[in-house]
Amino acid sequence: MKQKSILCWLIVWLWTVPVWANVAADCERLFEQGNAAYQNEDYLTAINHYEAALHLGYESGEIYFNLGNAYYRNGRLGLAILNYERAALYLPHDANVLFNLQLANLQIKDRVTSPPQFFLIQWGQRLVNFWPARVWAMLLTVAVLLTAGLFAVYWLIELRRGRSLLKGLIGAGLVVASLLLIPLSLRQRLEQHPAQGIILSPGVSSLAAPQPGSTELFIVHEGTKVRLLAEDGDWYKIELLDGKQGWIRSGDLGRIGHSDP
Amino acid sequence: MSKQLICSLLILLSTSLLTAQELRLRASVNRNQVTDQDRLTFTVDIEGVSDFPDIPPPESPDFVVISGPSHSSSIQIINGQMSASKTITWQIAPTRTGQLQIPPISIRYKGKSYQTNAVPVTVSTARTRAPSGAPSAPSADTPAPPATSDEVILRASVPQNSIFKGEQLLVTFELFFRNVRAYDVKKLPEAQGFWVENYPVNDRPVITNETLNGVAYKKAILRQMALFPTTTGELTIDPLVIECEVLVSNQRRRSIFDDFFNDPFFGDPFGTTSRMVTARSAPVKIRVQPLPEDGRPAVFSGAVGQYRIESRIDTLRTRQDQALTLRYIVQGAGNINALQLPPPQLPNTVEVFAPKINKQIDNSGKTIRGTLTYEYVLIPRQPGLLTIPAIIFSYFDPQTRRYCQLPTRSYAVQVLPGDQLATRSTGLNKSEVAMLGQDIRYIYRNSSHWQTRGENVLYRAWFWGLNSLALLIVLIAVGWRWWTDKLATDNTFARRRRAWMLAQERLQPLGEDHTALDHHLCLARWQQALVGYIADRLGLPAAGLGQRELTSALQHQKSKPELIERTARLLEELEAQRFAPTALTPEACQEFFQRTQELVKQLSRVL
Repeated sequence: MKQKSILCWLIVWLWTVPVWANVAADCERLFEQGNAAYQNEDYLTAINHYEAALHLGYESGEIYFNLGNAYYRNGRLGLAILNYERAALYLPHDANVLFNLQLANLQIKDRVTSPPQFFLIQWGQRLVNFWPARVWAMLLTVAVLLTAGLFAVYWLIELRRGRSLLKGLIGAGLVVASLLLIPLSLRQRLEQHPAQGIILSPGVSSLAAPQPGSTELFIVHEGTKVRLLAEDGDWYKIELLDGKQGWIRSGDLGRIGHSDP
Repeated sequence: MSKQLICSLLILLSTSLLTAQELRLRASVNRNQVTDQDRLTFTVDIEGVSDFPDIPPPESPDFVVISGPSHSSSIQIINGQMSASKTITWQIAPTRTGQLQIPPISIRYKGKSYQTNAVPVTVSTARTRAPSGAPSAPSADTPAPPATSDEVILRASVPQNSIFKGEQLLVTFELFFRNVRAYDVKKLPEAQGFWVENYPVNDRPVITNETLNGVAYKKAILRQMALFPTTTGELTIDPLVIECEVLVSNQRRRSIFDDFFNDPFFGDPFGTTSRMVTARSAPVKIRVQPLPEDGRPAVFSGAVGQYRIESRIDTLRTRQDQALTLRYIVQGAGNINALQLPPPQLPNTVEVFAPKINKQIDNSGKTIRGTLTYEYVLIPRQPGLLTIPAIIFSYFDPQTRRYCQLPTRSYAVQVLPGDQLATRSTGLNKSEVAMLGQDIRYIYRNSSHWQTRGENVLYRAWFWGLNSLALLIVLIAVGWRWWTDKLATDNTFARRRRAWMLAQERLQPLGEDHTALDHHLCLARWQQALVGYIADRLGLPAAGLGQRELTSALQHQKSKPELIERTARLLEELEAQRFAPTALTPEACQEFFQRTQELVKQLSRVL
């Protein structure tokens, strides 16, 4: 009975692999067409190709980076920054992505400076953003498997020496695995429920309430990074780095994160 | 005498050069307020012709000719144009007192008749004289000049006495004089309630001959001012006060050239002394009317005159954050100083600086003209189409007595997105400034890490599979360890585990080359396998187990009675055959083997 169900899963998996490969090939093709258009300085066509590739349901840091470049060349600063930020989620240590993001950020109107954060929190954030959730999950799995293997060795083989060392290693493995759960869960939350966004419209009035005629509190400009606090219909409650809060239309904002449509 | 000779020669020479011109005659007296004891100098000037006709003496019963006529003539060449004039002078004396008139003198010249003007003369008996006619006379508190030759009259003349507020009023100060060498302004006229614009003063005023109330004067325009009233009502132009140096001729024989050389702006006169005389103009009253209320536009801000406005913009296509200049230029005649332009109504996306206002006033012409420039610097802060609407400039034209409105052009400026590298120069640190000159890095040519969009690692099979595997490893390790420990320490457990294997070892079928001994041995082993298996499984001591103990042990295990019975029967039969004298057939032997094997199999399911 058990063997049968495993077989079933295997068949399903084997059947889906060619489909996956086919779609990925389409993605790859669109990506290359986009690159060719970019090289010919036809940035609008490049944007169309990259966006089409993303619509197929696959993504990568490189395609977001290239899309950001194409938007930058097309003068759409907000969309450029949004895509650089998305690229940075996948390629957190890529010098090109970070450079272009920094260069684009130099040109935004709002220079909101965040109040200085406690250094431990800063380090923590940097650590969480060091790898995507996938990598954290891999690390956790490796740690768990290693610990299990060591445990099996300890339990089955009658070692004459190094038993206490093995015990220590197992304990360390358990501690590392449970510590890895923290960045994994934080990063997972960041990716699946993006709480940050980039302003896409040239100038957006931030209102006191999610109603069209309410008091205008401040104006944010294209490219500014904001935090998302709440959603109400097609309105987002945003917070600037300096703590100012207000409501804007969801169309004026692009969320950084995978699940953004 | 030699002077006269030279003069005559000059006239003779010049006659051929002169062309026939219109003849002008003018009669005048040196003064028109005389006593019956005085003499008058009656002068007739002829201009325009070279061959001067004869002039008869004045014929009137009221005057007698005492001497004369004496002639003097002159030729002037001004700008290459020659003009000739002749002066004929008589000394006459009145014969009675009262309002007299020197009648006109008629002559005929080349078939046409000409006539001089009549000259009124007032002859009194007393030596005191009343000041002459109202506006042109020196004011009453000034002592009248005692001698007739030094009489000077300063007159302020205005074209009209009633004007609108803001309209230009031209005031001319004219000096009528006979022998004045120089003058000095003592007090400039004050005009309260006016914006005053002075015309340039000529150091050497043009002197013309003019007759004022029949008396011949020289006239010089000393000063001209343009006044623009800033309030309404009755306003006064205060007098101008000057001091003149008047030449008084000595009692010496007058030559006909004296007048020529006695010209006040001509060198040192012969045998004259000078005297200082103060002259002042009469104050002038002006009535200033307010501008009409009806038809006054809302944007009117007090401009009066004739204007035109134009606007200029330096570019219609600019970049974001780059300044562009918008100019409004008003040109025209009128109260330039009071002009104001309404600011352009610009959208909030444009930064507007306070305008640079430039006024230029030109007083060289007949009316005060000027140019007013408003220069706005605009910085569009957003890309897109920037519309600069027209402004409306309104003024009042005093000639037509109507308000005029002039709109300027409106502009649509295309604002391109800015060269943003150049615009952000504030709030950047040193490394950021260093980045400004750089461009973005090039795209990636290939992408190796495709993954499902919106991938959630917690939904991936490998994650949970590998972690479960780890758990499985742990469980297997623990289980294995437990199993081996149990086998090593628990004998009953070990026997139970090994029971099946042992039974299988013992249950060997009969070989090919079977003998009777073999039969018995095989049957014994099969019996042993069956008994051993049951003993091992139930944890009974293997040695000395009888059929009865086995049956009771099986019954204790609550096995099926049928199985117990079969076990007991097989054991009995095996026991019986072991010690039977005859050998079994191979078939029977095989049957025993199969039955034993079957029974062990059935027991393994139960025990």
